Amino acid sequence: MKIGIPRALIYWKRPDFWETFFESLGFEILFSPSTNKEIVEMGVKVSDPETCFSNKVYWGHLFWLAGKCDLIFVPRLKTDNEKLEFCPKFFGIPDLAKIIVKTPILTETFDERKEKFEKTIERLGKKLNKNKKEIKKALNKAFLKEMEKKEKEKNDLFRKVQLKKSKIVLISHPYNLYDEYVNLRIKEKLEKLGAEVIFIDAVPVSLNPLADSSKSSSISMVEFHWEFGKEIMEKIDQLFDLSKYRNFAIDGAIQISSFACGCDAVLKEFIEKKFKQNKIPFLYLIIDEHTGEAGFQTRIEAFIDTLT
Amino acid sequence: MKPKITFANWGNYTLAFKTLFEILGIEVIPPEKTNPQTITDGAKIAPEMFCFPLKVNLGNYLDAIKKGANTIFMTTASGGSCRLRYYGVVQDNVLREAGHKIKFIIFDQNLKDIYSKVKEISGASFWQILKATRFFYKKLRLIEKMERLAQYTRPREIEKGATDKLLAERLSKLEDLQKEKDFPKLKKEILKRFSKIKIEKDKDLPKVGLIGEIYTVCDPIVNFEVEKKLGNAGIEVHREMELFYQIKKKIIFKDFFIQRKIKPYLGSTVGGHGRDAIYEMLDYGKKGFNGVIHLLPAFCMPEISVRPILEKIHQETGIPFLSLSLDEQVAEAGIDTRLEAFVDVVKNHHKLKN
Repeated sequence: MKIGIPRALIYWKRPDFWETFFESLGFEILFSPSTNKEIVEMGVKVSDPETCFSNKVYWGHLFWLAGKCDLIFVPRLKTDNEKLEFCPKFFGIPDLAKIIVKTPILTETFDERKEKFEKTIERLGKKLNKNKKEIKKALNKAFLKEMEKKEKEKNDLFRKVQLKKSKIVLISHPYNLYDEYVNLRIKEKLEKLGAEVIFIDAVPVSLNPLADSSKSSSISMVEFHWEFGKEIMEKIDQLFDLSKYRNFAIDGAIQISSFACGCDAVLKEFIEKKFKQNKIPFLYLIIDEHTGEAGFQTRIEAFIDTLT
Repeated sequence: MKPKITFANWGNYTLAFKTLFEILGIEVIPPEKTNPQTITDGAKIAPEMFCFPLKVNLGNYLDAIKKGANTIFMTTASGGSCRLRYYGVVQDNVLREAGHKIKFIIFDQNLKDIYSKVKEISGASFWQILKATRFFYKKLRLIEKMERLAQYTRPREIEKGATDKLLAERLSKLEDLQKEKDFPKLKKEILKRFSKIKIEKDKDLPKVGLIGEIYTVCDPIVNFEVEKKLGNAGIEVHREMELFYQIKKKIIFKDFFIQRKIKPYLGSTVGGHGRDAIYEMLDYGKKGFNGVIHLLPAFCMPEISVRPILEKIHQETGIPFLSLSLDEQVAEAGIDTRLEAFVDVVKNHHKLKN
């Protein structure tokens, strides 16, 4: 049996996890190709005009998979292990997917306020006629693979911060950071201009966060109920602490937002202030299906020029 | 510093809120009616990508601040999944950055929190608060009743404009009413006046349901008076969304029943009133309505998520469907054109059915 996984949006939340999990259960996996112009155009055509760009890209990937596999895996992500919510747009994705494609959708609701992750996975496995033992084995394998990657990312980060180049933090959701077509190869562009890029996603979250010294009374901060909101805010704090501890400077920060992303509208307010308080230059870029490469390049170049 | 309270304008409900605070002996500076200038002012200082109601709210606050207000009362929706949760904090920050010294009182949508926050600013006793709440509730229900009556009489009235004239007149009377003991008299009078409007009783009219996000559906200024325009075009308008609907929902766990009904279309909440929109549209379809209008602030996350589903229901049942996204850049003329075209479709649908 062939299971299709759209290489967009929720895929990037746990890139290797699902792949390893399904493969060790003995299924063949079909990925949609990396995002390209055709996929984006397809997505824009089938989706609601006001939904966010990332969602449009996702529908494009889903549409590409239609008819090419037996099942398409579209999980409904609701809350994570800290009982924090995902973006509300993720809640309805499987139902909307059923409207867009005729291929059967494989879905399961991941709501850790109600049920443990392992339990949900078990139910998912049962849908595919696998027994408990097989599922557990596959799950462990997937966790291991994920951990390995995290470790590698961490070491990579510590190596990067030692380099004597200007360091720029790139802040966004994983689906914007890792999808190179979507973010117009911003990492490559920045590196060409001589900067070292740090993905906010790669910053490790320590288990006992250091006392927060950056709090100021002029702006009230907020406890996010969004998993990514809390994570990004914590990681920024972590990065500031790391920069003090390891003695390097963060030279600039760039936040990338998909057009019409409702969550980023809130997030940006707080992220921007955080960097402003620490006197770090901040650039806010919005991407959508019309974003031109030239305009992007100009803004990045201008930003790099202001740094020195 | 003596608190001078203000809050966001929300359609006709504003006057009920005003009463609530006045009875408690707090100085209130009621927000002025939303107008295009309010919206422009609010949008100027608001975060660009934020949803529309936040911008209107900010405009309302700015008006009141000019008149001397120094405390703002604002709701949050803990437990909800959408951006409403961060309205209070973001508005607070935005106003402070714009150089206004304002105290923000953010309350949660549950009785305990509302009670403790109201007590904190007013210093009133439990009985006083209970009494004020009771009066607030009575006024609120009467406003909603008047709105419903107007929806019925407007398309049927013989003398054009009689309903709206009466509605505006009586609402301002209700606003001025200060004593609870005078309330039954006014209520009786209002209901009598409504029943006296001359109407063509046996007229079979096309029916349209309004669904969508509660703020835009209930505020006639924000939605360019959709209800009135449809009524004047000879269409009977219905809407479930009212402030009381939201209160009721919190008390009787209505979400559970709604979820059971809409299971084939959507398997989970999407925040806000996403599920309610699907539920209501299915309901209107069953009742044989001739059209559904979906109102939402542009880029509203829950409503955008369910819109493809609403379109699917529209394709399945054949009920005419129009979705209007509202924000500060939408012009009334554009809305009017779309409404006019929709009215024709609705009337056609009605004619073919009979």
